[in-house]
Amino acid sequence: MNAADLYQDALLRLAREATGAGALEAPDATATLDNPLCGDRVTFEVRLRERRVVALAHRVRGCLLCEAAASLLGQAAPAATREEVLAAGASAAAMLKEGAPPPGAPWAKLGLFAPVQEVPSRHRCVLLPFETLAEALRLGEG
Amino acid sequence: MRRELLSALRRDLAARRAVVLATELGAGSSRLVHPFDDGGADALSGAAREAALRDESRTVETPAGPVFLRVFNPPVQVFIVGAVHVAQTLAQLVRLVGYDVLVIDPRRSFATPERFPGIPLSGEYPDEVFAGRRLDRRAAVVTMTHDPKIDDPALAAALRSEAFYVGALGSRKTQAARRERLAQQGLSGAQLDRIHGPVGLDLGAVSPGEIAASILAELVGCLRPSKKRGP
Repeated sequence: MNAADLYQDALLRLAREATGAGALEAPDATATLDNPLCGDRVTFEVRLRERRVVALAHRVRGCLLCEAAASLLGQAAPAATREEVLAAGASAAAMLKEGAPPPGAPWAKLGLFAPVQEVPSRHRCVLLPFETLAEALRLGEG
Repeated sequence: MRRELLSALRRDLAARRAVVLATELGAGSSRLVHPFDDGGADALSGAAREAALRDESRTVETPAGPVFLRVFNPPVQVFIVGAVHVAQTLAQLVRLVGYDVLVIDPRRSFATPERFPGIPLSGEYPDEVFAGRRLDRRAAVVTMTHDPKIDDPALAAALRSEAFYVGALGSRKTQAARRERLAQQGLSGAQLDRIHGPVGLDLGAVSPGEIAASILAELVGCLRPSKKRGP
């Protein structure tokens, strides 16, 4: 598989939209995780009310897959709980590792990442933003 | 040397500011000349600048008699981007030669003290590192990761700076693609021409150690322009 197969137009668009990229003024919690093997680094800031996301922002230093996954979370995660983010992350992992079908709305765009299935070394690029947001939510719940 | 002169000199060195101590050999009086940032106001600016660029203290004749110019340049610092195999040897060589060194790699599993004993390491992205410290005329940057997301920001920062040496590991084909990417970021042809790539003197180096030696040799050649070799 070459880069063109991996980085299809829809995925490029998702990355470029960079929904949620930026910073919050007064986040309830901030988490940063990185992948020490490839240097991808994701920061998520969240504001919570009754365990639900009311605002989020992210900053990604990483590859296009990582940016696209963070952008997807920027679109789908507002109003989500930590359990919902964890479940979406688990669905993403099942899709990448076992070929499971992508989940339904609001996470359906996870299907765009299906070509990454064939490149195990890049799975973490997609999953890292999910892990980071879940961590920020864990910290926010105190 | 007077105490206040010494204090000023120490301040300049701590700030990585080149400074020349000018001593009138007749009267024995001394003062500091800043060769690169006094706007040429000082009568000795030109001579001090020449001495600092050559990193060579010397006596110059002036209407008031001979003046000894003692050059204090900030230490050379070499930023190695990519904690790869060649970098392991290059970092040690740079240190042995007497320059400061920092190995930068956000891939923390590469930039470990076990792989780089005694070498300062940074796990940040290179542009983040360079935002906190000016790349001046005594700085050199060598990129080695082969990953554009790490190498490109380092090169862009280095090419926009006064760094005396900018090298990039990679084949001719890789260099062409990199040139195109950096041009899209607004770097000019003249800026891009400053990249030494394929990196290192053409010694036929094969092993990582030999490649490191060829890079260091090229870097020294750029630091010390010779009349024989041209600038």
